[in-house]
Amino acid sequence: MSQSHASMAVQMDTRTGATFRIEPLLGLCIGALGGALQGSLLASSLVQTILCGGLFGLAFGLFFAKRATSPGAGLIWGLAFALLMWIVFPAGILPMLAGASSRVMLSDARERFPQLVAFVLCLGMPVGTTLGIWGGLHSKVAQAKFSWGRAIVAGGFAGTVGGLIFSRWVSSGDYFPLLAGYGQLTVSRSAIVILHFGVALLIGVTFGLLFQRDVRGYGSCMGWGLGYAIFWWFLGQLTLLPLAAHRPLDWSADQGAAVFGSLVGHILYGLILGVTYATLDRFWVRLFIQSDPLNREVEGAGVHILRSLGWGAAAGLVGGIIASPILLATGVLPRVAGLATSFSGVRGILIHLLVSALIGMTYGLLFRNEASSLGLGVAWGWLFGLIWWYAGPMTLLPLLQTGVCDWSTDAASALLPSLMGHLIYGAATALTFMVLERRYTRWLLLDPRIAAREARKVRPVGTPAPALWLFAMGLGVLLPILLG
Amino acid sequence: MNRSVRRSLIGMLAGAAASVVLVATLGHPLVSVVLGIAVGVAYSASLDPTRGAYVDNLMSGGALGVPLWGLVSVIAIPLFSNRMPEWSAEQIRMHFPSLVGWVVYGAALGLLSQGLSDLAAKMLGPEVAPKSPLSSEKTRVVILGGGFAGMRTAECLEQQFRSNASLSITLVSETNALLFTPMLAEVAGSSLEPSHISTPLRSSLHRTEFIRGRVAEIDLAGRRVILDSDAAAGDAGQRRGIPYDHLVFALGAVSNYLGMANLEKYSFNFKTLLDAIRIRNHVIEMFERADREADPSRRKALLTFVIAGGGFAGVELAGALNDYAHGILADYPKLLKEELSIVLVHSRDRILPELSESLGRYAQKRMEDRGVIFRLGTRLTDAHPGAVVLSDGEIRAETLVWTAGTAPNPLVKSLPLEKDKRGALIVDRSLQVQGHPNLWAVGDCAAVTDAKTEKPCPPTAQFALREAQVLAKNIRAQVDGRPLQKFHFDSLGALCVVGHQTACAELTVPFSRGRSMRFSGLLAWLMWRGIYLAKLPGLERKIRVLMDWTVELFFPRDIVQTIELK
Repeated sequence: MSQSHASMAVQMDTRTGATFRIEPLLGLCIGALGGALQGSLLASSLVQTILCGGLFGLAFGLFFAKRATSPGAGLIWGLAFALLMWIVFPAGILPMLAGASSRVMLSDARERFPQLVAFVLCLGMPVGTTLGIWGGLHSKVAQAKFSWGRAIVAGGFAGTVGGLIFSRWVSSGDYFPLLAGYGQLTVSRSAIVILHFGVALLIGVTFGLLFQRDVRGYGSCMGWGLGYAIFWWFLGQLTLLPLAAHRPLDWSADQGAAVFGSLVGHILYGLILGVTYATLDRFWVRLFIQSDPLNREVEGAGVHILRSLGWGAAAGLVGGIIASPILLATGVLPRVAGLATSFSGVRGILIHLLVSALIGMTYGLLFRNEASSLGLGVAWGWLFGLIWWYAGPMTLLPLLQTGVCDWSTDAASALLPSLMGHLIYGAATALTFMVLERRYTRWLLLDPRIAAREARKVRPVGTPAPALWLFAMGLGVLLPILLG
Repeated sequence: MNRSVRRSLIGMLAGAAASVVLVATLGHPLVSVVLGIAVGVAYSASLDPTRGAYVDNLMSGGALGVPLWGLVSVIAIPLFSNRMPEWSAEQIRMHFPSLVGWVVYGAALGLLSQGLSDLAAKMLGPEVAPKSPLSSEKTRVVILGGGFAGMRTAECLEQQFRSNASLSITLVSETNALLFTPMLAEVAGSSLEPSHISTPLRSSLHRTEFIRGRVAEIDLAGRRVILDSDAAAGDAGQRRGIPYDHLVFALGAVSNYLGMANLEKYSFNFKTLLDAIRIRNHVIEMFERADREADPSRRKALLTFVIAGGGFAGVELAGALNDYAHGILADYPKLLKEELSIVLVHSRDRILPELSESLGRYAQKRMEDRGVIFRLGTRLTDAHPGAVVLSDGEIRAETLVWTAGTAPNPLVKSLPLEKDKRGALIVDRSLQVQGHPNLWAVGDCAAVTDAKTEKPCPPTAQFALREAQVLAKNIRAQVDGRPLQKFHFDSLGALCVVGHQTACAELTVPFSRGRSMRFSGLLAWLMWRGIYLAKLPGLERKIRVLMDWTVELFFPRDIVQTIELK
């Protein structure tokens, strides 16, 4: 994790021209095949879908191939590119050119939801992964060492732990979020439980295998977990499980809305998967890599963690103050304060600020060392806000207040306004945290050893983080809007 | 072109061009263009450009569009239109076209700003980085000595000047680590590992240049510190000069043998880590030799350890050696407890003059109970191999440790500066050497007078640390042209360990005009350990010492000889 060093930044500019010619061709072929698959699955014009798929693959091969340095990186870039293309063309330009109104445009986008699934699964996934495998095999730049054992063990364990968060439903046997797309399960309960944990294990192992080099800290790991969980919702719930149940594929928005609860479950699973994987991975790195005297840093991590918690608390406080008008207006704040009926000023605000500070501490702990500039810091902050929207008002808050969490589209619709407050909270927290951290580290950077260490810690340009932001942010916000 | 201006222009152009999408989706042309430009400037200013990062910016910009949609279309535009934001999900969904618009705008903004940035780099060259702070250094502060005073001065200067690189700090020390002297007796008594009470200066200081070396002389007129040549490194005869604008003397003290050459020759010093290691190994050596010695009187001399000086250092060392020597007797079955003597010689009528009399008496009683022999009101006059000569007789002993007197570093003596009768540099209330505004002195080598009480400050670590803080502030003040701060500090008290889980403590009650509280026994010992563990620099060191103390609870102290003594 920590080994994905600055070499990646160099890597993007040093690939040879020879591979540059092959990759667009490869992208074209895979894209055309994906387009054909899309055409056959959606019963669309084959010529049109093959042409679109080919163009998609060609564009990806031309412009994104340098970034697809591993299957995991290729997958994330491919998914994000697919989403962007869907937003720009089927959901954006085409209805606009047709002069559609807001309502029509939304219903049009809902109707084109199957295309979104097809873009993600037939174009983004195969093109990105294939070029990622190609890039990984043919890259001439030395990459961080990949450890199969670390990926499988940490990923598998994290996946299984992630699966345990549904143990309440699993033990009562009434709901299996990771298997919701299968429909009615007719096998014995023990078989369902095994299947549930089998899927969790599979997602975890593949997570470790795909993203070992990309994830660096707890925060980014959660981001990757979120993105990968959304992807698995498309792949597992909407595609593989119905196929396993011998049902026809249904990629409609209605089917998406029917398994929306499973999406929230997947997202929470992804977050747990990410943070558990990061914990295990960091533990592994600490035990077997950082303990090596050759990799020794000037000072230990303990002091920096304590400082990050302090800055996170202060930043969370600022974020809470800035976001409180919106949370108040949208009716979320009284619920956060634990007062279901009426909002009593001082007590409610104090509890809200306390919660904000505590959540801010998690930002400090999880997202330090992810961004090198204020802009990148704010981007992680948006994602942090989105994560807390799914984890907080969608899950923890109802769970703490009523013992039951409602993951339906209706609940998501009701909470949609508070999403804005959470995004603002995340951005304000991240911005304040970065300002505080910079204020402190600026003078330490006069020490060349510290400067070198800080440079190593910061995520270099060229990793799939921007693609992850678009994919996770875009779908994290878009799906509740489209499916609600 | 200034970096900020350049980025702003790029952001303006990119934002204006990309705002075409906003115009099409938001419907307010002027608002859309203004918004587009504002976001463009913020986007360009907040990201460090990397050449050729088109797809990264494409995705970053697209992702930026999602929250911007919420902020602007859902919240800000209704508010600025004198309408309340539409909070229901259904109303938010009606903003879906603008969500598409913002994502596409963001993606276009990312691409365009990258393109313009690359174009600007091609036409105007790379961004002009802010002037390197290191190139604008003006004031050079050189600190001599890496003890409490020197190290703390460097730390405080780093804090005072933070990222202000108009000042360079250099610390010259004969050792590369700060020795935490309050725990030195525990090293001699084999309770603690030697390196665990030393903190590397290089690791602790961040912007201070550290030079390990011995100062040969100081050219006050030429403002240069001349370092001794390093014969071991093969540069004998080549002396290195370090120029300074401000020179801080924090050289500490050395043992003062009061002119008795034999004492210097035959006694152990107790100032450095090496001294403590030598004493510990010597004690083990004496036990080994005594174990094979057949003559009882000779054996007794081998097992007699004389400590000269009844101050903190002498008492703590006597207590630690007493515990250690009695503890390791179990490993030497031929040796008898009666043959072992730890003798503390002190010229006054009671030990620990820094503490109140009752505590001094308590310490003496407890130590006597544990086997320490006191020779009070007795002066040490001479020493020979195998014998220590006192003012009232002679003790046959192979071991003598000298803690009875200190004097400022000999280098200070050679300087043409005003000194007190102890030989310490006389400084004014602001810690400046009198008549020399660029010379400063703190710690044991300085004669500091408290500005409030007008009493001389004792040469202790507690005072040295506070003097260093004031000194750093005063250097900052002088650089900034502000008035200097005068030094005043009320002692917090003193603590002294006298034996196993026994200590004396006298702590000043805050705001009580010098009144103090006295503690003794186990409670004082716990206070001693707690306070000094907290003061030990570095978390790692704290953990190591804590582990040493824990191990000591369950396992006997080590008798492995680590150095060979001749």
